[in-house]
Amino acid sequence: MRRLRAIAVLMAILLFGAAALGGVLALLDRRSSSGDMVIIGSKLDTEGILLAEILSQRLEQSGLRVDRRFPLGGTKIVFEAARSGAIDLYPEYTGTGLMAILEHPPMTDPAAVLKVVREQFAARHDLVWLDPFGFNNTYALAMPQSLAERLGVRRISDLARHPELRAGFAPEFLARPDGWPGLREKYGLRFGDGPGTMDAGLMYQAAADGQVDVISAYSTDGRIDTLHLLVLEDDRRFFPPYEAAVLVRRDALARHPRLGEVLATLGGRIPEADIRKMNAQIDAGTKSAAEVAAEFLRK
Amino acid sequence: MGITTAAIVQALLEHLQITSLALALAVLVGIPLGIHIARERFLAGPVLAVVSAIQTVPSVALLGFLIPLFGIGIKPALVALFLYSLLPIVRNTFAGVSQVDPAAIEAAQGMGMSDRQILRHVTIPQSLPVLMAGIRTATVLSVGVATLAAYIGAGGLGAFIFRGITMVNSQMVLAGAIPAAALALVLDGLLALVERWLTPTGLRED
Repeated sequence: MRRLRAIAVLMAILLFGAAALGGVLALLDRRSSSGDMVIIGSKLDTEGILLAEILSQRLEQSGLRVDRRFPLGGTKIVFEAARSGAIDLYPEYTGTGLMAILEHPPMTDPAAVLKVVREQFAARHDLVWLDPFGFNNTYALAMPQSLAERLGVRRISDLARHPELRAGFAPEFLARPDGWPGLREKYGLRFGDGPGTMDAGLMYQAAADGQVDVISAYSTDGRIDTLHLLVLEDDRRFFPPYEAAVLVRRDALARHPRLGEVLATLGGRIPEADIRKMNAQIDAGTKSAAEVAAEFLRK
Repeated sequence: MGITTAAIVQALLEHLQITSLALALAVLVGIPLGIHIARERFLAGPVLAVVSAIQTVPSVALLGFLIPLFGIGIKPALVALFLYSLLPIVRNTFAGVSQVDPAAIEAAQGMGMSDRQILRHVTIPQSLPVLMAGIRTATVLSVGVATLAAYIGAGGLGAFIFRGITMVNSQMVLAGAIPAAALALVLDGLLALVERWLTPTGLRED
């Protein structure tokens, strides 16, 4: 009897807690009326924020109302937000959709990857992949332009002739099967004492300063241009494609009849050189993502 | 996002809002819970196990789990911080109340005090240092975890920290990290004052 009473008191405390929490949450619910707005999210990185800003401004130009709920966290959180309807759309990469979300083994043909993610996301999550923006933000190898010219290196396969070069790779790139281990096998590469480990944020500068010759890079990083680096062509197509595209809820497309049509106008419109330049402008801190996006849309 | 004073102050206020609301709720629930399980010992094991288990869930996973229930923004952040703050508060309240000298309670009963009077005049003052230590631990912890609110669009100082990391801009990281550290110290200091003020003169050590 005493135990039952004790449990009842415990329940009462928990109920009281739940009620207090619920009350506070209800009070905080001031911006609930985004009913006729398109809710846009993004990840935390520069490119994600820039793309979300371009999408927002493009929709606003067409008279749609936009609720900017970005930046949010990593892939897991933003995807969960889209899947559960907390946001309507966000920019995602096809390779991330394939490998990180669907946990599918790596594939290298961009069209095949897009086909798989389109089918699987529609079937499992009611999410639609629109046509990619036109650039691929994948892993790449980069080296200083001057050095590449002197050695006559343009493609990754050219590196097999230069084992004397010093390589510095991000720890993640060294460890992942779609990074160095697979790349070495595919191209038969070898570097003097093996590649060294470098912080992903610092390696671009290290290459520009001549401390290393070859680095792992993200192909759309703004520093590739500002530091005069050259992205080597992946001539045997080893790196999986990471094409950026809008990932949007099917019900959002139904709720806003013009949404799909307006978003489609951005398909294939952002080449790699453009996104790199825009990323660089934002990372340099001279312009905000909103300013860079506005300039892009004016063109 | 620029590093202006106004932006930092705004982020600091958001941070303070999430942290203090979550802590207030955790105190409101955690202290009664701790006192209750100290009296009804058979509940202590299960309750502490559940509260500890919550603590072991990685924060990003917890946020991912809360999004379908609470959407994005301040709500899931508040719920996550509330859940994380429970453990230090419940555990320390339980420990504090358990170590009150039974002789003191017996003496109080002998003086004819009611249960409620004993709680107010004997149990709580006697366990106050341990209990307050729990609240202070929860506070410092929450200020740190609240940086993750930036991941779910709830703002706060974490927005500077995570943007700064992706932009490799250490100034921006510090614009978030320094105010967060200062906030943790200030709140901890304020709670030390509250503790001093709540301790009856007879129990003060100095």
